[in-house]
Amino acid sequence: MEAADRLRPESAFASWWRTVRVAYWLGWQVESNWTDPLLFFIYSIARPLGGALILVFMYFVVSRGGRGDMLGFFLVGSAFWPFVIAGMMGMAWGIISDREHWKTLKYVYTSPISYRAYLVGRSLAQATSATAATAITLLFGRWVLQIPLHLSSMDIPYALVAFALGITSIMALGFVVVSAAMSISGEAWRMPEGVGAALYLICGAIFPVTVLPAVLQDLAQAIPLTWWLEAMRRGLLGAGGLRSFPWSSDLQVLAIFAAVTAVWVAGGVLVFSYAEQRARALGILDRESGY
Amino acid sequence: MLRLLRAILGRSYPRIIGANRDKSWLFYDTVLPLLGTIAFVYVYKALGAPERFVGYVIMGGATVAFWMNVMWSMAAQFYWDKQGGNLELYMVVPCGIPAILLGMSFGGFVGTVIRAIAIVAIGSLLFDVHYTVSQWPVFLLVFGVAIVGLYGLGVTFASLFLLWGREAWHMANLFMEPVFFLSGFYFPVRALGFWAGMGASLIPLTLALDAMRQLLFPGTHPPFLPLGTELGILAALAISFIVLARFLLRKMEYLARREGRLSLRF
Repeated sequence: MEAADRLRPESAFASWWRTVRVAYWLGWQVESNWTDPLLFFIYSIARPLGGALILVFMYFVVSRGGRGDMLGFFLVGSAFWPFVIAGMMGMAWGIISDREHWKTLKYVYTSPISYRAYLVGRSLAQATSATAATAITLLFGRWVLQIPLHLSSMDIPYALVAFALGITSIMALGFVVVSAAMSISGEAWRMPEGVGAALYLICGAIFPVTVLPAVLQDLAQAIPLTWWLEAMRRGLLGAGGLRSFPWSSDLQVLAIFAAVTAVWVAGGVLVFSYAEQRARALGILDRESGY
Repeated sequence: MLRLLRAILGRSYPRIIGANRDKSWLFYDTVLPLLGTIAFVYVYKALGAPERFVGYVIMGGATVAFWMNVMWSMAAQFYWDKQGGNLELYMVVPCGIPAILLGMSFGGFVGTVIRAIAIVAIGSLLFDVHYTVSQWPVFLLVFGVAIVGLYGLGVTFASLFLLWGREAWHMANLFMEPVFFLSGFYFPVRALGFWAGMGASLIPLTLALDAMRQLLFPGTHPPFLPLGTELGILAALAISFIVLARFLLRKMEYLARREGRLSLRF
């Protein structure tokens, strides 16, 4: 690049996008370059596949080998949950490891980039590492467990819209968790795991939310991940599958999901702005917590 | 001998006393496995499974606490110690690394047993699960032998992880759900089939869980192997892991010193 080009003012979007791309590359390197590609691939799929197999065997032990709608419900939830772990929890662990492990937070934060764009890029890199696990789990379900994941019965556009909204909602949740990680120092690195475990319980990841007590069912409806997983199941398994919200139509699910996501995106941005300002004012932005 | 005992007690102190001073540790160590446990309980409830399956899951949740302690606070501990700069100190103190590891094991066990009891108590109260322990002495014997084998495996892993940097964190992470699956944390291991179950029995928790379930749910739990056979294999595993840990520890410590990896942080 010529010196004159470098000095030319860059549009806000171009700068934001460049930061996302570079942060994505950095996040991918941090995530994957500790080993060779084959071991990284095995590592990427082993945990999610192990989680899915636990559910499959729990199902077979109770049903004595029979098959039913619940198996598809388990599988789609297990297949897409790694995106939540990687995207949301990964964003929080990214900031914590930058702050306490690599000790690079202050340098990244003071560079002339959007820190939000940096976090989005890091989170997307983490989410990418979940793709292989999702694909393998779905293929396993289709070809080994004979779950009706047929292209002919899938609503692909619906699933794609739901997926895009899902990634957006994961980012929004990630910003909220990052805000909390900025504000606490002691044991910050375990907090994202706690949030992930709580969401796993109440978002209908592995069982319909109708099984939960009424209070938790109401809470589940306020969290976009519940609607995301419901929408992904409707998009991939077609009509007739088990539902977390049997009272709503497919379009209703997508509309409510979009609205809940919009609220969380706005909330995530606000909470992050507040936490960022507070951390700067208190001088705790790069405070270590004994990682 | 006195020095050895003092070193063991000294290293176990932060795990028994220190860990309980930080209430967030107590909260996370108990609540995290409990949240996962409750999620799996609801899976069985959604499937309409008999009550003993809920008991299986609660037992599995308590076992998760032990496995996490062994992987994160035994196997990967030297990785954390490298980050904190403690590993070099362990190498120069006159008690030797085995005493440090024994102290870590003892402290880890005491700390985890408190959390495991909390998980079983809270889980059983929440879901009204009842157990009928038919033979308490045998139950405690199975538990004790399994713990020796498990922490022996932890020391074996710790010596292997001694050479690793960032890989240690990822490998400990890798041994979570796949082990929960293979060891039948949430379902009877018999469902895996005989040979897969035998392979999984290399992890002491596999047979320990099955044996304890036989004693907790007599007559209803489908056993993988007869109780006596499982106890015998567990004892053999415990002895084997102790011998292997001792051998590997010497070997890996030598390699780590020779290759200069003891203070290699990343």
